[in-house]
Amino acid sequence: MNKAFQGEHLLPGHLGQIFIIFSFGAALLSTISYYFATTTTNKLDTSWARIGRFAFYGNSISILGVVVCLFYIVYNHYFEYHYAWSYTSRSLPVYYLVSGFWNGQEGGFLLWTFWQAVLGNILIWKSKSWEKPVMTVVAFSQLWLASMLLGIEFFGARIGSSPFLLLRNAIEAPIFSQPNYLSFIKDGQGMNPLLQNYWMVIHPPTLFLGLASVVVPFAYAIAGLWQKRYKEWVTQAIPYTLFSAMILGTGVIMGSLWAYESLNFGGFWAWDPVENASIFPWLTMVGGLHVLIVYKNTGHSYFTATVLILLSFIMVLYSSFLARSGILGETSVHSFTDLGMFWQLVSFTLIFLFVAIYFLAARRKELPVTKKDEETYSREFWMFVGAIFLALSCFHLVLVTSIPVWNRMFGTKVAPPTDLVGHYNIIQASFAMVITLLTGFTQFLKYKKTDITRFFISTLMYFLLSALITALIVYTTGLYKLQFVFLLVMLGSVYSLLVNGKVLVDALKGKFKLAGSAVAHIGFALMLVGGLIAAGTRGVVSKNDTGTLNLGNFDKAAGDVKENIMIYKNDPVKMGDYIVTYIGDSVSQPNHYYKVDYKKFDEKGKLTEEFLLKPNVQINAQMGLTPSPDTKHYLLHDLYTHITALPQSAAAPQAADAAHGEANDDKNYDPPVVHEVAVGDTIRFREGYIILKSLKKEAKVQNIPLTDSDVAIGAKLEIVSNGKTYQAEPVYMIKSKSVFDFARTVDDAGLKLRLTKILPEKSKVEITVFQQPQNKKPWIVMRALDFPYINFLWSGTIIMIIGFLLSIFRRNKELKVV
Amino acid sequence: MKKSSILGLVTIAVAIAVIISLYSKTSSYGSFSDAKKTAAELRVVGHLDKQKELYYDAAKDANYFSFYVKDKQGEECKVVFPGTKPQDFERSEQIVLTGQMVGNEFHASDILMKCPSKYTQDKIDVTEAKAKSANI
Repeated sequence: MNKAFQGEHLLPGHLGQIFIIFSFGAALLSTISYYFATTTTNKLDTSWARIGRFAFYGNSISILGVVVCLFYIVYNHYFEYHYAWSYTSRSLPVYYLVSGFWNGQEGGFLLWTFWQAVLGNILIWKSKSWEKPVMTVVAFSQLWLASMLLGIEFFGARIGSSPFLLLRNAIEAPIFSQPNYLSFIKDGQGMNPLLQNYWMVIHPPTLFLGLASVVVPFAYAIAGLWQKRYKEWVTQAIPYTLFSAMILGTGVIMGSLWAYESLNFGGFWAWDPVENASIFPWLTMVGGLHVLIVYKNTGHSYFTATVLILLSFIMVLYSSFLARSGILGETSVHSFTDLGMFWQLVSFTLIFLFVAIYFLAARRKELPVTKKDEETYSREFWMFVGAIFLALSCFHLVLVTSIPVWNRMFGTKVAPPTDLVGHYNIIQASFAMVITLLTGFTQFLKYKKTDITRFFISTLMYFLLSALITALIVYTTGLYKLQFVFLLVMLGSVYSLLVNGKVLVDALKGKFKLAGSAVAHIGFALMLVGGLIAAGTRGVVSKNDTGTLNLGNFDKAAGDVKENIMIYKNDPVKMGDYIVTYIGDSVSQPNHYYKVDYKKFDEKGKLTEEFLLKPNVQINAQMGLTPSPDTKHYLLHDLYTHITALPQSAAAPQAADAAHGEANDDKNYDPPVVHEVAVGDTIRFREGYIILKSLKKEAKVQNIPLTDSDVAIGAKLEIVSNGKTYQAEPVYMIKSKSVFDFARTVDDAGLKLRLTKILPEKSKVEITVFQQPQNKKPWIVMRALDFPYINFLWSGTIIMIIGFLLSIFRRNKELKVV
Repeated sequence: MKKSSILGLVTIAVAIAVIISLYSKTSSYGSFSDAKKTAAELRVVGHLDKQKELYYDAAKDANYFSFYVKDKQGEECKVVFPGTKPQDFERSEQIVLTGQMVGNEFHASDILMKCPSKYTQDKIDVTEAKAKSANI
């Protein structure tokens, strides 16, 4: 700080840092005040509560201040800040500057703490008598999040990581010794091209709202235990739990839509640790939601409900630890790296785990327990079983995803299963099967007691019907090729669809308040149906065995399928049912689009369909080539295409071309072939033919004036290559007694044509044909996949959201806030 | 027995089943010499030998990519991957291969590469900055 640096804008950073510290202080004050407000014996003394409330307002305003400062920095391209320099660049459009805002970990924490502040304010406004204990927990969590942004050295250890860190403090490099270093830093690193997608503008805020909202049911559960209001918190927490499960689910599916639309792993879910981590809390949350409802209706399962709700928040913290501590290192493609907050993240998780366990242990003797067991034929029992299975599914995901954590804890060196995806698929499918069946037949059961005969009759009837429908689906979609357990999931989903459809129909006739759960279950089942068929029967359209280096039966895991196909420009290739042609490129910085024309013919050879897909590749200085797919959407399936390899020169096409001189250019072609032709003659070449249409006496060449003694002859040529027609006119010229000729290239046909001689005695001319060798012609390697029925997955999501919304309205009506 | 205790037992049984099924499936991080001893698939952590040739010729076969990897013990082996060359492969600092030995080649069914510079771009390219200053 002793040195003056030119051109830095330090004010927004200082201001932002002050806001961060203030938000930390305010959260601390709010926590302490709310704590004393809760524990004070004098019920008339509201001063603590008032301090707590104002401190929380202060915290919220500070966070807004931080957001404004950071956005100001990013928006104005102040690259003296590490954050702006790392994640944005001048060429980014404003909406991506917004997503650049939450590109880094600090931005993620900021988003989280922002949403938590919003939710806290809603709670202050709405929660009445619950405010003090609930807000103690929320403010405490705010305190921890604020600490993640501090970026202050404390007894030699750095606490948190500030988004306002200056570039010269973040990185050591000699240029920072110059006072005018900023004039050398013209632009930021730019955003990871994969994140430059509109889903990245809305997916992170949604996901973080979902994650942040999990604290509300958690806070209510703690408050219930703390204040010994065991029964009341449940009714209060249900709408928030519904909201949380809805938003979190939406956020996760948005992420998978983003992956499907802009990543190139060829799917929508890859069981990557970071993806798994995002659904841990969703699973326990949905489980907890069901037991909360059980408890509300019957008084059973209090303990399980509380534990699952408490666990959900712990899972949020744990998944944040997994994603941000860098521990996933060798198992994940996209885990963030360690910002030096490993232990801070661990303690964040452990402290809340401790709080949860402490309250459960302290109140264990007073928890409401039912003496009587649930009836076997009661709704509550089977809902309870369903919740347990959701928790088990989460348990499995946690167990496998945390392998690096176990390794670190126990010093072992275990690697995840080699066929990881298969392992996840099969085990999770087993849970999904149980859960879908439960979402079906539980609908026929009533709370407390059910007429057994009627239950069995209707259950069986629907079961047989769904078995029939499933058999039909399995037969038509080719699902039977998969392992048996997936067929069972299909059966369960179809069963759930039918039964909940019936409940919905009944609901529309009168019992409208039951509609919410029926709709949500239908949505969930549809998602599974869509996901299962799309992932299970995904077809490789670009399958081919054209390679000469055939590996034969490679190994089991990779299969014999060769999924990539090479296509030369303007050289049609048969691929599955389509004839595909790579017809050209278009560039819109930083994207390079490859136009691939798809044609489909019926048996008679009539063209039935033609469309253009433009998979693109971003050429980015930092990251090299980054491909994104393009997808043709049909109602019942999607055709998905992405580039998997390009010629070396594609990385720097302009530079490579400019470097070649004219003389060098011939090296790009096969040895020339000389043809003597008369007007009307045809020259054949590999992909077609050339006709000499006419000779033009007064051909003009740009910028070369001709005098009377000069001669310029142009040969009008028509080139037909792969069914396409091109024109070219090479020129032969005698100027000032010297002979020149001007070659013409037809890039699309890979030709260069010269008019090299005039042979007046034969009334012929000599045309020299240069043809590019096959491998010098522009080419792409692409992979095309077909995803059948994937729209069920997306529409199922929307239906599930609607179901959640209906339930929120219903539960909100039931709510009497005291 | 109470129904809840039965359910508890079932839950524990399923949990144990899950653990066992995972345990039986887990592989280990090994070296190429481990791979030569076993017919099973395993994971090898190593780094790309940038001196040796990366072979990918789409014209010959768009689904054949071969390269050389040095594992953590320093042993080098030719690796064949039935697919295209992953983007930015040369820049990888660490590679996790899943696959098995076939003859003297390691046939990888999956490649996971780590390019730390992708996400933590904390290396300021000074040469680049200087080149820019020359333009002013």
